[in-house]
Amino acid sequence: MAGRGRGRGGSGLSLTTEQIQALGVTRGDNAPPTLVPPPLFPKLEKKPLPLICDAATDYMLIVKDQFIEYLHESPAFVKVKTETDGVERYSDKYKMLALDAKQNKLLDCVWVNMPTELRPQAKRPRTVPRKRKLDDPEEIAKRLQTLEKKETLETDEAIDGKKKELNNENVDEEEELEDEHEQEYELDDGTDYANNYFDNGEDYEEEDDNLDDGPVY
Amino acid sequence: MSHQLGRVVSVILQRYFGENVQKVGDDLFTYGSKPIALLVKSTGLSRIKVVESLRTLLKYDLAMFEPTPNEVIADYRLIPENVLLMIRYPRYLLQIKTKYGSEAEILIEELLQKACSTATVLLVSIAVKYKDDKEKNMTIVKLKDIFISLITAGYIQQASVAELKEGSEIPTLVPVATITPEIDVRAVIKIMNSGNLAESSDNVYWKVNYDRFHQDIRDEIMIKAITRRIDENAGELLRHMLQHMYLTSPAWAAESTLVPAVELREACLRAAADKPLLNQYFDQYLKVLEESGCGTVRADAGGRGYSVRGAGAARGCLLALLEGLVTERLGYKAARIFRIILDKKYIEEDDVQKNAMLPNKECKELSYKLLEEHFISLQPMRKTASAGGMNKAVYLFHINLHDVAHTVQDMCYKALGNVLRRASHERAAHARLLDKQRRVRSIVHGMRLRAEPQQNIDDVEETLTPSELAVLQGVEKRLKQLSAAELEIDKNLFILKWYFMYTH
Repeated sequence: MAGRGRGRGGSGLSLTTEQIQALGVTRGDNAPPTLVPPPLFPKLEKKPLPLICDAATDYMLIVKDQFIEYLHESPAFVKVKTETDGVERYSDKYKMLALDAKQNKLLDCVWVNMPTELRPQAKRPRTVPRKRKLDDPEEIAKRLQTLEKKETLETDEAIDGKKKELNNENVDEEEELEDEHEQEYELDDGTDYANNYFDNGEDYEEEDDNLDDGPVY
Repeated sequence: MSHQLGRVVSVILQRYFGENVQKVGDDLFTYGSKPIALLVKSTGLSRIKVVESLRTLLKYDLAMFEPTPNEVIADYRLIPENVLLMIRYPRYLLQIKTKYGSEAEILIEELLQKACSTATVLLVSIAVKYKDDKEKNMTIVKLKDIFISLITAGYIQQASVAELKEGSEIPTLVPVATITPEIDVRAVIKIMNSGNLAESSDNVYWKVNYDRFHQDIRDEIMIKAITRRIDENAGELLRHMLQHMYLTSPAWAAESTLVPAVELREACLRAAADKPLLNQYFDQYLKVLEESGCGTVRADAGGRGYSVRGAGAARGCLLALLEGLVTERLGYKAARIFRIILDKKYIEEDDVQKNAMLPNKECKELSYKLLEEHFISLQPMRKTASAGGMNKAVYLFHINLHDVAHTVQDMCYKALGNVLRRASHERAAHARLLDKQRRVRSIVHGMRLRAEPQQNIDDVEETLTPSELAVLQGVEKRLKQLSAAELEIDKNLFILKWYFMYTH
C-alpha cells in the first residue's frame, strides 16, 4: 500500500476517513492521547472461572509429579555442569557422590535405532576413503593395455623405454603399486581434485572432551 | 510453527529434561534440522552433552533424524507435537486405570517411562518393582495377560524397526504392523529369577500408541457432550453407535459408513435392563440425536442407517469452546454478539445492534473488541454502482472458523507457556524450602520404617518452622493450581487438534 500514497486505502489495511465514518467512528470520538505507558500488568476485566479440581484432577497431578520425578532421577535428565561459588560446603561431598552415581549411568536406549554417532563408545564418524578404481589388479591391467595401445600409435623412438617399464609393472604390479598411483593421477586428469579431501566439519574448533573417542590423529 | 509453540516446547523440555535438553530443543525448533557439529557450535554445549540430549530426545520420540546426503552423519529434527503430548501422559494413565484397572495403568506407566521396551524387560521390571507389595500381587502371568489384552485393544503397538542400508551409518526407522506376540511365561520367570535381563533373546520392541488413547478421549468428549445436551440415554445410544462405527470405518473418518438402525436397536435391546427408557423410545431418541446433536449424527434418506460425523462433532465442540472463551474473556454480551454473527454468517454492523438488543455504543465497543482479539473478521463489500466519486462500501462482520481456531490455538500455547514458566519460577524461588521439606519427609519416612519413638520423629518434623510451613502451603497450593490449569489447557488443545484434522 505504501507506494500508492494515502487516501487510497481500498482493500488495504488502513481505512480512509469515510470508511472509518462508515464504521461508526465520528470525529469527536477520538480518545485523548495517552501520555503514560500502559501498565505492565493491566487489571483483568473479567475474572476467570474457578478451576474444577476433582478427584480425577488430583490423581492426574500426583501421577504427573511422579513421572517428572522419575525423569529427573533417570539419566534422561541431562545434568548441567554446576558452577561452584568457591565456598566449600559440607554437603558438597554428598552432592558430588549423588551426581557421580548418576553420571555413570547410561540412558537405556535401543541403540540399533540410533545413528552410529549417538551410540556409546561410538567412534567419531570418519569419512570412508572412496574406493579407487585402481585398487583392483584387473582394472590396472586393462588400463595399462589401453595406454599401451595409445602409445604404439605414437612415434616409436620416444616410447621404447617407457614400454618396457609398463610391461614390467604389468608383471609385478603389487610391488610398484605406489609408483603406479602417481603416474595414473597424472595421466587421469592431472589435478588433485580427484583426491578425497572431504571434511564434514566435525573437528572444527571443538574441544575434545570425549575420552571414549579413541585416538585423535 | 508459531513463536508461542516454540516457547511452550522449550519450557516443557526444561521441566521434564533439564536445561541442556531445552537448549538443544530450542535450537532444533528454530533451525529446523541440524547435524551434531552445528548443534555443538550454536548451543555452546560440549559435544558429549549434545549427544546425551539428543539421545533423550530420540528415546522419548521427541525428535527424529534423517541421514545427510553423505550418509555418515545425521540431521536431527524436533517433533513439537510429541513434546506437547508429554503434558497429556497423566490423562492417558487415568483413562487406562478407569478402563482396565490399576495393573494396566502400571504397565502403561512403565512403558511410558521406558518409552520403548521389549515385553520381557517390561514385565520383569514391573514384577521386580512390586515384588514386596502384597496388596497388588503382581505375577508375571497376570501381567502378561494384561499386556496381551492391551496389545489387542491397540493401546500398545510395535515400535518401528531400524533398517540399515548398505554403506550407510544411519538407520532408517520403518514402522511395522503389530502382531500379538506369544510370550513364554516360563522363560520370563527364569530371567526374573536369575536377575539378568541381558539373557533374554526378546528383540521385539513395544511402545504406547497415543492415537488409540486419543480415540478414547474423543469418544468420551462426544458422549459427554451429547449426555449434557440431551440426556444419558442419548449418550448411551451414541456409545453404541460409536462401537458399531469402529467395526466398519477408520477411527478418524470425517463421516463414518452407515450403521444400520436394526443393529443399533438390537444393541439397545441387549442393554435394556440398564436403560429401559432408551429401549422404549428408541426411534424418538434417534430422531432427537440427529436433529439436535450438533451435527454429530446424520441419518441416510430412508432412516435405515445412521453415520457418525467426526468432523461435525469436532466443529460443534470447537464452537462450544469458542463461545466459552469469548464469554470468559469479554463477557456474556460479547458472546451474544459472537453467536449472532456465527448464526448469520455475514452481517452488517447495524443488524448486529438490532439483533443483539444492546445499546448502540456498547454493542459497537464489544464488536470492536471481538475484532481486536481476532475472534471475528471484517469483510468489505464494495458497491459496484456507486453514485458520485465516493467509494461506498459495506462492511460485514464474519467469522472464519479456521482462522479463529488458529488464534485460539496460539492463545492456548501462550497460556500454557505462561503457566509453565510461572510454575518453574515459583519452584525456583522456593527451591531451598522445597528441598528442606523433601529431606525432612524422607528422614521421617525412614524413621517410621525403623519404628523410632514418636518424640524423635516430632523433633525432626519441628525443624520446619510454622512460618516456613505456611509459605510451603501457599506454594503448594499455587503449584497445584498451575498444574491443574495445564491439564485444562491441554483439553482445549485436544479439541483444536481434532478440529484441524478435518480442515486444512
